[in-house]
Formats: sequence, C-alpha cells, structure tokens
Amino acid sequence: MIRRLCSCRAGRLFLAALLFLASVLPSQAAELKLEAKLIWATNDDKSPNLEHKPVDAATAEKLRKVFKWKNYFIVNRIVKTVPSRGANSFELSKQCTVEIRELEGPKVEVKLIGKGKEVHKTTKTLTKGEWFTYAGDDKNESAWFVIITELDEK
Amino acid sequence: MNEDQLLQLQAWMDGELPAEEARRVEALLRTSPEAEALVSELRVTKGFLAGNEPEAKVPETRDFYWSKIRGEIERSAAAESAASAPAPAPAWLLSWRRFLAPLSGLAMVAFLSVLSLNLYHRAEQDPMQHLVEVENLDETIGSISYKSQSENMFVVYLYNKDQNPDMDEDELFDDQVLQ
Repeated sequence: MIRRLCSCRAGRLFLAALLFLASVLPSQAAELKLEAKLIWATNDDKSPNLEHKPVDAATAEKLRKVFKWKNYFIVNRIVKTVPSRGANSFELSKQCTVEIRELEGPKVEVKLIGKGKEVHKTTKTLTKGEWFTYAGDDKNESAWFVIITELDEK
Repeated sequence: MNEDQLLQLQAWMDGELPAEEARRVEALLRTSPEAEALVSELRVTKGFLAGNEPEAKVPETRDFYWSKIRGEIERSAAAESAASAPAPAPAWLLSWRRFLAPLSGLAMVAFLSVLSLNLYHRAEQDPMQHLVEVENLDETIGSISYKSQSENMFVVYLYNKDQNPDMDEDELFDDQVLQ
C-alpha cells in the first residue's frame, strides 16, 4: 500500500501534504501543561500551619526579589493540562480556584474564583519561563500568591 | 463504369482475380464497349512497357544488392536518431536518481514547514501581543498589575478597596514596571 502510494505522483503529493500539515498544525493549536501553585508569604520564620512546607530556595529567592516578604510556604500545587481552545479548573484550596482557558493568539484567560465567586479575570500571552502571578494581602501582614507557569513537558 | 470495376479490370488483366470474379469481368467485357476499350488500351500499354522497360545490370547478386541497400538505410536511420536524441545522463546521476527524487520531495516539505513556522513566529511577534486585558469581576476588589522584567514575572495584585483605599504599590514591590 505504502509502496503503491510512493510510486505514483498523486500519492507522493498526498504524503507531502500530510507531512506538511503534521508539521504545521501542532505548532498552531496545542494543549498547555500548566502548573498552579498556591503560596503563602509571611515575615515570620514559621508557618502557623505545620503542613505548609517552605518553597524551594530558587523560588523563594525569586519571590524575595519582587515582593517584600521574607518567607514563602507552599500550600498546594496542581499540574493539569488545558486543552487547545478549552478550559480547565485548578482548585488550589477550598477558597481559591483558578480557571484557565486557552485562547487564540495563543493567549490564556485566567479567572480567579474566591469562595465560589468570580473575582478577577486576566487575558494575556503566557510565554515559556514566565510566571503569571495573582497575589493579595492576608491577615497578620501576610499574603497569598497563585503562581501559574507553563511546563515544558507535554 | 465505376472505380471498382476499373480496378477489377486491371486485376483481371494481371490474372489476379479468382475464377468467379474473372467470369463476372468477362461478362462485363462482352456487354460494355467502354470496358472493352479500356482493356484494349491497357493491353497496348502493357505491351509497350514489356518491350521497352530498361533492364539494369548490377555486379552483385540480387539478394546481396538489396541487403546492402537495407544496411545503408538502417545505418542512416540510426545516425539520425542518435543525432536527435539528448545526450545521455552521466552514469552516477542515473544511479543516484532514485535517491534524489524522494530527497527533493523531502526538501520541499522541509521548506514549506520552515515557511509555515516563520509565519507562525511572525504572528507571535505581533506588537499588540504583549497587551494584557484585566477585568475586575468584583466591585469591592481593586487590582494593580505590573511586570518584573528582571524576574520574568507578571503580577496582578488584588486588594480590598474598603480596607486599602490608598493602596501604595511601593509598599509591596521592590522591582516593578507598572502596566
């Protein structure tokens, strides 16, 4: 069958078109593998919740360069795939959920949902290596962060 | 007389007709003066040709003479076809042709792929691409968005409007580029 396809001109053209489409289509509409992290920031040395572990040194250093808090603790981490032109929900805690939709561009629409109520929506291009961060104040001079990054592996 | 009858008369003169048709032509000759006149004329002509046809003598035998002519014709035909045919491709090119044909196809596919990727990246370089749309969905919540170029981090900082009416972003960030 393949031999017959290769032997006639129409078959060769068909195979060339197939290869061409295979090389083009994945780059124009692809699913996203995203990581969403909920982080709690404080100037205290320890988190009141013993289940919260400190973030790794590189993440803490990066956050310290941008924000004023000294210590950062990971509350939850979720990795999910957002289908092309589709959406997925990341429930990071009972009170905090982000819904991410992949849009044409390619862009992402990130919707922050707090206590079941839509709070904020951002639409932007998410480039590899970039951190998209939602942040807000919390009680006792602390803060929360939702950090969304695109992972390399599919 | 029609053309068929003329031809039949000539064939009859040369003794080439089968017996049945020969009888039919002889009957025609008995009834048609025109046919009889034509046959007489043909007989005279045949007689002239038979008596006066030049006879050439060749030094070789008949078979050898004609084989020489045939050989000459074949040689000249071969020379003409060789002159009109394109120069044969080099042997190495012929042996590589079966690889070069699919390779040229692959090269075309690669070219089209690179072209399409360039178009794709060009779309990524859209100057409007960096614009960000932010929308507060809760009236009590305010937001400040900024980009830290050094850390490649885009931040949307949310605050409660009631509790922080005079939000000062300098209190929050060490390195910011406000959007």
